[in-house]
Amino acid sequence: MKWGIFFCVMVIIGAIILYEWKKIKTYPKKDQFTFFILLLLAGTLSLFDLPNLPGPVTLLENIFRPFGKFMESL
Amino acid sequence: MEKGKISSLQMGMIMYLTIMSTAILTVPGITAKYAKQDLWLSPIWASLVGFMTLFIVMRLSKNYPQQSFFQICERTAGVYIGKLLGFIYVCFLAYVTGQIVRSYADFILTVYLPQTPISIIIISMTVLAAFTVIGGLEVIGRVSQIFFPIFIFSIFIIIILLIPKLHLGNLLPIMEDGILPSLKGAIIPQIWFGEFFLLIFLLPFLSDQNKGKKWGLITIFMVLFTFIIANLIVLFILGQNTAGTLYPFLKATLFVNIGDFIENLDPIIIALWILGSFVKITVFYYVTALGIGQWLNLTDYKPFVWPLGILIVQLSFWSLPNLIVINHHDETVSPFLGIVMQTCIPLLLLGISSIKKKVKAVKI
Repeated sequence: MKWGIFFCVMVIIGAIILYEWKKIKTYPKKDQFTFFILLLLAGTLSLFDLPNLPGPVTLLENIFRPFGKFMESL
Repeated sequence: MEKGKISSLQMGMIMYLTIMSTAILTVPGITAKYAKQDLWLSPIWASLVGFMTLFIVMRLSKNYPQQSFFQICERTAGVYIGKLLGFIYVCFLAYVTGQIVRSYADFILTVYLPQTPISIIIISMTVLAAFTVIGGLEVIGRVSQIFFPIFIFSIFIIIILLIPKLHLGNLLPIMEDGILPSLKGAIIPQIWFGEFFLLIFLLPFLSDQNKGKKWGLITIFMVLFTFIIANLIVLFILGQNTAGTLYPFLKATLFVNIGDFIENLDPIIIALWILGSFVKITVFYYVTALGIGQWLNLTDYKPFVWPLGILIVQLSFWSLPNLIVINHHDETVSPFLGIVMQTCIPLLLLGISSIKKKVKAVKI
């Protein structure tokens, strides 16, 4: 966990909310909800040391392992 | 959601830059690893995937005119499975955007700015792309209309300047071990041809719908032609060394030397890479943002562009600590992920839709 990155992302998220607030206020609830979910996701991810965290890449590597072995055997 | 309209010619230019920009630099090296001196044959086999994808996309958009891909999913596979498929596609597009941003940054880092932190390169490009995405599809269309001639012209000039250095003997022996090595080499380039799947997101916004197929086909032929020419040039200059090179076209460009005066043309290639990658990242970014909007039936995609930007930057780092891991991942996972998501699932949807049509016809 790197606090520097986390605080940078928080500042960016704050700036995005400030910048978009006027426009997002006029949109329906569903849009607002999606907007904040995406920001929340970004904020949560910034808590981790991403390069060494298992993620979608690891998942895909597990799914496609037999094919990966086939490619290595070529 | 998107009110802009583009012409089918602009669509062709967008697709050409999207596919060719990254392909011309990285693909010849990977292809040569499997195909040896037959690497120029591999794009021909790989283009079959492109033609198939184009056919599937065209049939789907003909069966469901003016509908988004996510609506097609729901119409064919049912609401629940359709929504799930939509979610998978949104994740896939965001993930691919992250990968493209990372490969762009890695190139700039290794070739041009070795001292700069990678996050600076990634963030600057993502911010630039975000502004273009907010501009909408028309802006992307015009951007590629401006960049397309520059791209073609520069590559043409470099190829002309390289002519004195070509060793045509490197081409021989053709098909030394039969057809198999060139088929193996086609496994990687087919990802790029599969990217014609993105047409399904652009087709509803065409101002001249009936010309979409024509320009799609022309774009595939142009991509195929450029692919073969680039592979041949690389082969004629580097010969057997192509296989071990990360960016063979860049290395080939270093051989330009006319009268000790016109030389060191590699900045042109770097400029082309930045220019093409910008269009590619923008298109994928745009499609992801639009996809989120269409998937959840929202009113506009523009508010999600900036939050998505942070996610794309994070996705470009996630589980990818260094270049070795990235290259291994690109060679073992991407080809299969590409063909499944870009060709097989749309083919399945097309199959379901045509069966549904027949069943309905029988009922009536």
